[in-house]
Amino acid sequence: MFSSIASLQPRQLAAQVLNFALVLSTAFMLWKGLSVFTNSSSPIVVVLSGSMEPAFERGDLLFLWNRGMDTQVGEIVVYNVRGKDIPIVHRVVRRFGGGSAPLQLLTKGDNNAADDTELYARGQDYLERSKDVVGSVVGYVPFVGYVTILLSEYPWLKTAMLGFMALTVVLQRE
Amino acid sequence: MSDSHISPYSLNDLKNTTDDALGNYLRGLHFKQDNSKLDFRLAIGYTAVAIAAVTFVADYKLGWDATKNGTAVAVAAYAVLNGIFTYWMYFVEKGLIFEGSREGRKISLASRTKKHTPTYFLTVTSALDKSRELDCPFTTWFTEDGYFVAKPFQQWLASTVDVIGEADVKSAVKDETDSSQVPEVESNGTPSASGADARSKGTKRSKRKG
Repeated sequence: MFSSIASLQPRQLAAQVLNFALVLSTAFMLWKGLSVFTNSSSPIVVVLSGSMEPAFERGDLLFLWNRGMDTQVGEIVVYNVRGKDIPIVHRVVRRFGGGSAPLQLLTKGDNNAADDTELYARGQDYLERSKDVVGSVVGYVPFVGYVTILLSEYPWLKTAMLGFMALTVVLQRE
Repeated sequence: MSDSHISPYSLNDLKNTTDDALGNYLRGLHFKQDNSKLDFRLAIGYTAVAIAAVTFVADYKLGWDATKNGTAVAVAAYAVLNGIFTYWMYFVEKGLIFEGSREGRKISLASRTKKHTPTYFLTVTSALDKSRELDCPFTTWFTEDGYFVAKPFQQWLASTVDVIGEADVKSAVKDETDSSQVPEVESNGTPSASGADARSKGTKRSKRKG
């Protein structure tokens, strides 16, 4: 198997490695391109908890759009708690400001008893639309996101997948 | 050549092994290989990868908000470079496997295969003849087990491509004396690589060795 690359000229080896590098970088740039298009730092997220049932289940894949700055009550938004990197998917239940004043939002999970005031950072009573919100949900695909949950719970899976991909692309000469 | 063998059923392996052997053979005949097309492709490709890498590091270190605009520019640049890369690969390089010259004579060889056909198609463009496509079954230089045999391959090349024949006179001349080894080329005066002749000779040879 490896003899096919052992006998390569250095330039050809460089070309094979380039093929793999291009697979990775194209995937990354497509992601970044989508980010730029939607103006969201993370345009596709996976639902991690059951706080939005029955609308969204754990493992659902959500598509976000962050160019609608006038978020209405009833929209579902994804936000990051200030200081933490965990995205939360909840519904907007109250608006403050808007117009000339900066828009502020209060959110609550459909399946939760109380609103998100407890979840926000210490001293924070509301979300700033421009700063804290990653985007509002415009579409979803059920269950597909479970792969991401598996990859984050079993990190060796990530390395294994990447290693397998590298092997197949570099050794294949088509 | 190589002591390892490949699967004789894999068209991809057959083509790649033959391409590599051709390169080695010509370099052995002191053809100076011109890598400019491949170098251009590598340069474009690695520049695009570098742009992606810089974008990745910047995003990792500085976060999304600070790098938003830079990322937009980088994505556009990457798309353009990738477009040039793909265009170069499909329209300029187009199957090119060897390009070089020897004693002032330039030669350019591109190869391809057709699905489910065990034939090697070689397009030759050289100083002595305009672009023409030759073909020869892989069985001419591969045994039943998938071992590559250099001699019949070199003889085919030397007898059908004038520039190579000039460089490797021994292989080109051998046709006249050893008629059982090589497809009949000199018989009607025009160099031809008719598949039918080579095929019958080829299978005889591989059966003998197998």
